Amino acid sequence: MRSMKRLEAERATCLHGKTGSAPAIEMKNIVVRFEAKTVLDGFSLRLMPGEKLVLTGESGVGKSTVLKCILGFVIPAEGEIFIQGKRLTHDSVWTLRTLLSYVPQEPELGDGTLHEWFRSPFFFRANTSLRNNLDRLPGFLERFSLSQELLHKEVGALSGGEKQRAALISAILLERKIFLLDEPTSALDSKNGKKVLEFLFANPDVSILAVSHDHAFLDEADRVVELSARGGKNAY
Amino acid sequence: MHTEEIGLWALSSYYALLIIPLGLMIWLRIPIIGKTLSAVARMTLQLLFVGFYLQIVFSLNSPWINGLWLVVMVAVADFSIVRGCGLRLRRFLFPLFMALVGGTALPLLVFVGPLLNRPMLMDAQYVIPIGGMILGNCLRADIIGIRSFYEAMNQREKAFLYTLSQGARLHEAIRPYLRHACRAALLPTVATMATIGLVALPGMMTGVILGGADPMTAIKYQISIMIAIFTGTSITVVLAILMSVRGSFGPYGILDPLAFRS
Repeated sequence: MRSMKRLEAERATCLHGKTGSAPAIEMKNIVVRFEAKTVLDGFSLRLMPGEKLVLTGESGVGKSTVLKCILGFVIPAEGEIFIQGKRLTHDSVWTLRTLLSYVPQEPELGDGTLHEWFRSPFFFRANTSLRNNLDRLPGFLERFSLSQELLHKEVGALSGGEKQRAALISAILLERKIFLLDEPTSALDSKNGKKVLEFLFANPDVSILAVSHDHAFLDEADRVVELSARGGKNAY
Repeated sequence: MHTEEIGLWALSSYYALLIIPLGLMIWLRIPIIGKTLSAVARMTLQLLFVGFYLQIVFSLNSPWINGLWLVVMVAVADFSIVRGCGLRLRRFLFPLFMALVGGTALPLLVFVGPLLNRPMLMDAQYVIPIGGMILGNCLRADIIGIRSFYEAMNQREKAFLYTLSQGARLHEAIRPYLRHACRAALLPTVATMATIGLVALPGMMTGVILGGADPMTAIKYQISIMIAIFTGTSITVVLAILMSVRGSFGPYGILDPLAFRS
C-alpha cells in the first residue's frame, strides 16, 4: 500500500512537476531533418520544474539534437518548443537562452586564460547583474578538484575533464534554473563524476535535462527516457 | 614639374624583359605560364582602357563625372570582395558597397579638402588617384578581414554556440572573431607603416618624385596617404564585417550556410 502511494506521488511529480507550475521545458511533435535524414520524428518531451530527466539511447538517435533544438541551434521543421511556458521563436530565443545553462560534451572554450574565460559571460548584458557570483569561483574550483593555478593557464591547454568541470562551474555561476547537460561526466573519473552528480541533483529548484550513458546519472534521475531510432519516442 | 615621356616603341620593347620570368617558368616547369600571359594581356588592355578614359575624365574635370568614376571603382571593388570571399552576390553586394563608400569617402574628402585645400573637392587630379589608392587597400583588407572572420566562425563554431548559450547577444558573441579578423586585415598596413622607406620607396612617393616634385613634398604626400589608407581600411573592414553579419546569420543567431557560395 505504501509503495502504491509512493508510485502515485512519483507519477504526480512527473506529470505536474514538483512546484505544480508550467513545465520547465515542453517540446511538442518536433520533427528535425538533416538533408534527407529524419533525426527526430514527432518527438515530444515535458520536463517539469525541479525534475531530473536523462535521455539515453544509441548514437545518432538525436539526443544531442534535442538539446540543440531547445537552445535554438537547430530549428525544427515542425513542432513547438516552450521554455517556462514561453514559446521559443526567433524573437524570444535571446531571452529564453538566459534561462538555460548548457554544458556541451566537449566544451570548446575559445582563447585566453581560464580566468578570462570564466569572466567573459559576466560581461554580456544579460549577465552583468550576476558579476558578484565570480566571488564564489574559488570555492567551486575546490569543490570540483580544480587547482587555482589552472586559472592562469590557456584554455586550449586544459584536459577534457578540466574543460568539462570548468563548463559546469560556469553554468552554476550563471544561476540558471534549467540545465541542459550533454554527457557532462564523459571525461571525468568516477570520483569527480560523482561530485558533479551529487551537486547538480541536490538542488530541488534546478531542472535538469541530461544526455548521458553514465550509470550513476541514470540511477539518480527522476526519469530516464530511451530514444529509439528516428526519435519517435515521447517523453511526457 | 616634368615627367620623362616613354615612347610607344620603347615600351613595346620593354615587354621583352618578360622573356626572363617566362623562361624561368619553362625551365622550372612552374605551371602558371598561361595565367601569366593572360594576366599581362589583361593588364595591358585594362590600363589602356583606363588611360583613354582618364584622359577624357581629366580634360572634362566635371565633379559629377569624377564622382561617377569613383562609384564605378567602388562597385568593381565591391564585386571583387563579394566574389573573393565566396559570398552570395544578392545578399552582400549592397551592404559591402556601403562599407566601402564609408571607408573611402571620409579619408579621401579630408585629404582633398582640409589637407590639400583644393577649391573643388571632386578634382579629378586628386580624387581619382588618391581614391584609387585608398580603395585598393580597402579591397585587400576587406577580403582578408571577411575571410578571416568567417573562417574563424566555421572553425570555432562550437565555441561560438557555447557563447550564445551563455546568454550572449549576436554582437557580443561575434566580438572575438571580429577582433581576430580586424587584426588580420590591419596588420599588413601596420607592418607597411613600420618599414616604409626602409625596405622600398612607396608608390605614391615614387610617383610624386617622378612627377618632378622634391623628396620632402613626396614624403608629406606619402605620410598623408598612409594615414588615409590606414583610416580607410580600419573603417571599411569593421563596417564590412558588421554589415555582412546581418545577411549571414539567421534570426536565431546561427550562421546561415546559404549565405555562402561554397
